Amino acid sequence: MNFRDVELLSAYLDGQLNPSDSARLETRLSSNSQLRAVMDDLREARGLLRQLPARKAPRNFTLTRKMVGLKPPLPRTYSTFRFATVFAALLLFLTFAVNGFSSRPVSFMASAPAPAYGIGGGGETESLEAPAATEAPAAIEAPAQPSTDMQIAPTEMSPATENSARSAETPQAKTGEGELLDQNQAQVPNDAVVPIGWQVGLGIVIVVCGLAAFGLRQLAVRKWR
Amino acid sequence: MDESALITSAQHGDLDAFNTLVLHYQDAVFNTALRILGDDEQAADASQDAFISAFRSIASFRGGLFKAWLMRTVTNACYDELRRQKRRPTTPLEPDTKDGDEMDSPRWLADPGMSPEQIAEAYELEHAIQHCLDGLPVDFRIVLVMADIQGLDYSEVASSVRVPLGTIKSRLARARLRLRECLQDFWELLPAAFRLHEEANA
Repeated sequence: MNFRDVELLSAYLDGQLNPSDSARLETRLSSNSQLRAVMDDLREARGLLRQLPARKAPRNFTLTRKMVGLKPPLPRTYSTFRFATVFAALLLFLTFAVNGFSSRPVSFMASAPAPAYGIGGGGETESLEAPAATEAPAAIEAPAQPSTDMQIAPTEMSPATENSARSAETPQAKTGEGELLDQNQAQVPNDAVVPIGWQVGLGIVIVVCGLAAFGLRQLAVRKWR
Repeated sequence: MDESALITSAQHGDLDAFNTLVLHYQDAVFNTALRILGDDEQAADASQDAFISAFRSIASFRGGLFKAWLMRTVTNACYDELRRQKRRPTTPLEPDTKDGDEMDSPRWLADPGMSPEQIAEAYELEHAIQHCLDGLPVDFRIVLVMADIQGLDYSEVASSVRVPLGTIKSRLARARLRLRECLQDFWELLPAAFRLHEEANA
């Protein structure tokens, strides 16, 4: 007897052999006591397992929606409100971006005179640079003294003239700057591409639609439970 | 219970329909897990995991015997549990006796309708069979539980375990023989009919 016989006996016990194999095995069983003993052993093992008491489940294994990660069915209006909120938020962001970009040159112009205080103001620089510019062609025409002329021009102008010019012109320049700043500040709101009213409106849309979406979701969750 | 209607509803996401199936099959699923794992708590955890996994993948059920499909899910959950055990071995929490020793077979779960002797015998025999089942390789154990405890036929076991029919036949024969050999050590616990046969063989 080999393991193939044990397999045949096990399958025979379970009625899994075809009729011809069954008949052949039955013939062998009637004449072979060793085969019969193995057959009995297999039957006993199967019988003992089948006699095992079936235990009751210690608790119910029913599932909750949370366990399986099910989400409540939300109304269609929820997605509309959610979309409106997101869209309005994007638009609001865009308006800030556009206004920011459009106001940048204005603020640059407004701040331009500010550093000019240190070197004598915007108008002053023009008057200071003018002589140097006029002397430059002369320097080209007289190549014998190019460097001296070039050096003289700024040095002649810088220490004394600059200080006196600064002391003389500062009050005027300051008053001029002040006016300029006031004008620029007054112009900023006018330069905004998107009026502030639109931004406020978008903000309201975001809040209202967001709250509506949140409320609808809470309502759906409560109903679902 | 119209099983196919419940399955169809569950496939469309109806959790209540699926829970009706759970209530119907939970004892079978728990017993399968218990005989494979040999521990009540682990079996309960594996059963719960199996049902969660079954609900999530019920759309893949394409007809046939639902119980066999469910058994495949619980088998997978048991394999996962056994892998977890290997990674993090644990000590079972069993009740202590008055002397402070652990009880070998927890009789605190006994059916109150049985006499103390019956309880003792039943649990001793059950304990012996479970001990022998635990000694089998897990692949053999699963086939034995499916075929002899759950009563699935060979093709259903083959589809549950996803191995060829020939392998099922071979594993089942080997597992039965090994179980019988192991149970000879618990001769005095076996029912009278088995003992008589044992004596005749001797």
